[in-house]
Amino acid sequence: MTTTAGDPTTTADDAMTATGETRMLLTGNHAVSYGAMLSRPELVPIYPITPQTPIAEKISELQLSGQFDVDIMTAESEHSAMSACITASLTGVRVFTATASQGLLLMHEMLHYASGARAPIVMAEVNRTLGSPWGFWPDQSDSLSQRDTSWIQFYCEHGQESLDTVIQAFRVAEELLLPAMVIHEAFYVSHALEPVVVPAQERVDEYLPPFNPVHRLDTQLGESWGNVVNQDMFYRHRKALTESMALVPQAAIDADADYERMFGRGYGILERYRMDGADTVIVGFGSMCGTARVAVDALRDAGHAVGLLKIKLFNPFPIEHVRQAVAGVPKLVVVERNVSPGIGGVLGQTLKSALYGMSHPPAVHSYLAGVGGVNVSARTLVEMITKAMADEPVAESVWQR
Amino acid sequence: MEQLHYEIDESEVFSSGHNACPGCGEALAIRYVLNTMGPNTIGVVPPSCIAIISGPQPYSSMRIPVYQTTLEASAASAAGIKRALKRQGKDDVNVLVMAGDGGTYDIGFQALSGAAERNEDMVYVCLDNEGYMNTGAQKSGSTPYLAYTASTPGGKPSDKKDITEIMAAHRIPYVATATVGYPDDLARKVAKARDMKGMRFIVVLTPCLAGWGIPENSAVRVSRLAVETGFFPLYEVEDGEHYTINHGHIGRPVQEYLGIQRRYRHLSPEQVAEMQAGVDHKWALLQARSKLECEPQFVPSTG
Amino acid sequence: MNTTPKEIPTAWTTGYTDIFNTGTWRAATPVHEWRPSPCHVSCPIDNAIPQWIRLIGEGAYEEAWLSLVETNPFPAVTGRVCHHPCEGDCNRAILEGPVGINGLEHFLADQALQQGWALPAAGKPLGRRVAVVGGGPAGLSCAYHLRRLGYDVTVLEARPKLGGLLRYGIPEYRLAAEVVDTEIQRIVDLGVHVRTDTPVDGAEAFARLRHEYDAVFVAVGAQRAKRLQHLDEAGGATRVLDGLDYLRRVSDGEDLALGERVVVIGGGSAAIDVARTARRQGKQVTVMSLETRDVMPAQREEVSEAVEEGVRLVDGAMASGAALTVECLTLECRLVTLDPEAPPGVLRPLPIEGSDFLLEADAVIMAIGQDADLGAFGPALQTEQALLQVDPDTLATSLEGVFAGGDVATMSRYVSVAVGEGRRAAWGIAAYLAHPDTQPLPHLDLSQAVAASEVNTYYFPSAERTEKERTPAERRLDDFREVALAYTDAQAASEAGRCMSCGLCIECDNCFVFCPDMAIKKDDVLDVHYAVLDQYCKGCGLCVVECPRGAVHLEQVKL
Repeated sequence: MTTTAGDPTTTADDAMTATGETRMLLTGNHAVSYGAMLSRPELVPIYPITPQTPIAEKISELQLSGQFDVDIMTAESEHSAMSACITASLTGVRVFTATASQGLLLMHEMLHYASGARAPIVMAEVNRTLGSPWGFWPDQSDSLSQRDTSWIQFYCEHGQESLDTVIQAFRVAEELLLPAMVIHEAFYVSHALEPVVVPAQERVDEYLPPFNPVHRLDTQLGESWGNVVNQDMFYRHRKALTESMALVPQAAIDADADYERMFGRGYGILERYRMDGADTVIVGFGSMCGTARVAVDALRDAGHAVGLLKIKLFNPFPIEHVRQAVAGVPKLVVVERNVSPGIGGVLGQTLKSALYGMSHPPAVHSYLAGVGGVNVSARTLVEMITKAMADEPVAESVWQR
Repeated sequence: MEQLHYEIDESEVFSSGHNACPGCGEALAIRYVLNTMGPNTIGVVPPSCIAIISGPQPYSSMRIPVYQTTLEASAASAAGIKRALKRQGKDDVNVLVMAGDGGTYDIGFQALSGAAERNEDMVYVCLDNEGYMNTGAQKSGSTPYLAYTASTPGGKPSDKKDITEIMAAHRIPYVATATVGYPDDLARKVAKARDMKGMRFIVVLTPCLAGWGIPENSAVRVSRLAVETGFFPLYEVEDGEHYTINHGHIGRPVQEYLGIQRRYRHLSPEQVAEMQAGVDHKWALLQARSKLECEPQFVPSTG
Repeated sequence: MNTTPKEIPTAWTTGYTDIFNTGTWRAATPVHEWRPSPCHVSCPIDNAIPQWIRLIGEGAYEEAWLSLVETNPFPAVTGRVCHHPCEGDCNRAILEGPVGINGLEHFLADQALQQGWALPAAGKPLGRRVAVVGGGPAGLSCAYHLRRLGYDVTVLEARPKLGGLLRYGIPEYRLAAEVVDTEIQRIVDLGVHVRTDTPVDGAEAFARLRHEYDAVFVAVGAQRAKRLQHLDEAGGATRVLDGLDYLRRVSDGEDLALGERVVVIGGGSAAIDVARTARRQGKQVTVMSLETRDVMPAQREEVSEAVEEGVRLVDGAMASGAALTVECLTLECRLVTLDPEAPPGVLRPLPIEGSDFLLEADAVIMAIGQDADLGAFGPALQTEQALLQVDPDTLATSLEGVFAGGDVATMSRYVSVAVGEGRRAAWGIAAYLAHPDTQPLPHLDLSQAVAASEVNTYYFPSAERTEKERTPAERRLDDFREVALAYTDAQAASEAGRCMSCGLCIECDNCFVFCPDMAIKKDDVLDVHYAVLDQYCKGCGLCVVECPRGAVHLEQVKL
């Protein structure tokens, strides 16, 4: 157990438990930094962007103090940061990076490149509004717009979950050779201070074996990567990638179960909160789930059979697991902090397509709430759900405030 | 007789059977660069003729591991490899970039400049055929003034970027120019760069037969004319300051170089005179720069 | 159990491109092939000049000399007196000037004289006997080559000593007697039977010779001086002399009383030889030639040396008449131009109006050419225009078993031509005598030689030509010491370095280095130590252009 001199987030109250873990008061971003450190990446190529910067800063501090043995490459752009991540990963070392918003978009080309390269990079992504116009507010449009880049996407509700998910993500990514994003929202999660349990390094080392890929850039092996392929090879490559992606839900469940056994905390790939006997279930992801729990409790107290389905694993969308979770539920209300103009809320769209083909699918309200970072209070949610219980759903997403 | 001293190991790092055009100047440069760098090297190649010459999956023409990256990302990709190798305790393995002029002067410049500023540890070789030749001879920042390209059919209105001086201004340990008509000089520079640490940048002029409009047996001869007419002096700059001029303008008129290339066929005598004046001026500038001295002396400590 | 075919992996390479036969792309293939250099083609003795120059450059002098004497047994002679047509065709002329081939030959031959190197041995005896009539350069060259081929040779020479024009026609300041002696002795030492003071002076003697020997080579030269009738009539025997006769008598040590002023008529080497000999005898000498200086048949160096020695040159002039008085013979002269319409080999002077002048001479020496004396041999042998008619390849005459060469059979009155013809005749005789290993020698043509345009001058940095040093003009007339001196080792090395080795691969490796496809490999097993890899060569021709010396050329691929 260590306290870092000058680190404002650790106090004398931090206590090391019997398992060697430490309780610290950490922001969501700093929790990510600790999660990264514990995962022992060899290289962190990174470029600063609000509101990701504290992740990088904490990593730099930890490295400077000697706690974190890592090479930090201060890239001159996110595109270059991701480029270096890919090659370092293909050379056979574990890598980590973080970004947000514009930075993620600048990486877009390389996100595709990374997944095509089957490079198991883990990246923390802080959801922030996309320009134009400029804003720094929580909004999930940035990560959702990258859905098709074949990255695994985990959405986290709070700092502790982010820390734990970073570690789990390395395990899943390296097992299936797919890159993974660990996503939380700007400010609501990234800058919110919470008590966080930081596991012991030795335990994480047991959980996360060293990264040792069979194929890599190595003068002893002599193999090259990236030569032009023909149509048939491209087809097979994409098919193989999809097949790996299809194995992610179970791998994530297993990784999470192992983690729970070792560290006492598990989240599943989705979470059913008070869904037993529910007539109406809120479906959401990210920080809004915390508010939704409060709303569910209030509605239950008022006698309504309401529950919450939190989606943690968004890509690949766990269709079968979601169908099982909502089977028999009459109505779902998707509440999400994003919009893709032309199609509406992305979670709503994805959910509906996942449910299509069920013999008695739930009715689905698709609500857009909190887009642009607008605050969504528990009371607002209660009002929203109350109305939704009475209303007939429409095909389009509906704006809510 | 001027005997070449260039030695090539028969166990070559570059295989035959590649699909460069017959007589390609770039393929010749790749041969010299790879064989001098040797097998303890990992290469990075962006989209370019070099990437096509690298071979179709699953075959490679290069007997070292080569990673093909996106067009912007050569220097950043190379940095990632080298840093990973260092973490693995394999700092002795060389990392080599072979990029075209598009991926160096234009879209790849940001990554290159960033890598230079950080003094990343790599040998970056730009194989410069003065245009986006692989996509059909469009203009790049390296295309010379007045040259015809598919995207500047009336002749390029702007001058060629001076990438050598730009990289020298980054004050990296080693910057040099070279070309295929002087294999001894090219090999010496690659070997010198290979054995140094930090960011090392060499731009190699590689005539393109189709793009420049020259006969397929002429790449070597044309590259020599580029040097002898002063268009492309061969020189080195160490630590951004110490200039060594190896081969340069010997007084041949620019018309001898321009006249054999179809891409300059449209030039008027006035334009040729303008080119001559430009070349003479730049040569004088280079010579002046090479003699510059100042006090106090300063030697940077390399990170 | 299903066995699925092994699928090509979609990422990570597993092999190399050397399985692709890019050789199928090409329309022309480079071929490494020796081609003659222009110097070789123009050498009357068929000498592989670049080969031995290269060996000089490597310091392998004896090996170089052995290459030289493969065809030419008289290198010290030709190194001094050859008219060097090789230099006239040398490709280096496009740079600073031709290579000093003659100087290098002179240098090498003198090394041999100093070191006492021996000629290659005579061949295995074949038991056939050949007679050589005439002990001059043609005859002795023929004897040398016949001995090397294994034939028994007897040389019959009319004069007391062997040598012909080498001894009796070329003055010692050009060709020292001891040089001639040494080179002749070397040949004789191969087992040549020599009978001096033995002229073949009649049809009967000739027929006997034919009977006693299996073959005969006639090389009696052209000894009969041409004369100008109007001068003979005016001056008579006392004032008008025959040039060759004059040189022979001086060589024999005779002291001729010529008076002070000597006019030599003629524009060839013989005229210059006569003039410079007369200068050494203290005479005031004027040479009058029909041809202007730039087209005089005499070698340029000889004319310059003559002028340096105080010979007065009146060129583009003729003597149309003469008047004899007690004091002297006065020549009536006029300037002329040569008719450009005249047939080749015929000089037709056109007098220039109003250019008459007088020249006073105590003696006039004629050096306007010689004719062969065919008395003993015609009418048995076919002749044409005062020469024996011979086959151009074998030098066979119209009589079976009889061959002829040198001045008796050709109008090319050069020492080197005589030496070359002696060799050609030896091969012709060998073919006639059914030698198991030989064919008559081919004739090379300049069109076969590597042209200057095929030489890549980039590889030959500027180097000025080294001229032979000469004894200072003021010292030369003291005696008959040699005027032109052999190169020093340093000069030879420098001049050898200028040779571009046209058509002869010297393994500079350019073709190997400049191939973008690595389609040329070094191969010590092959004659030419490079192999073109059929499966990879794309036929771009870089190797051809970057070969400094035209030793690689492209051949169209046959469909």
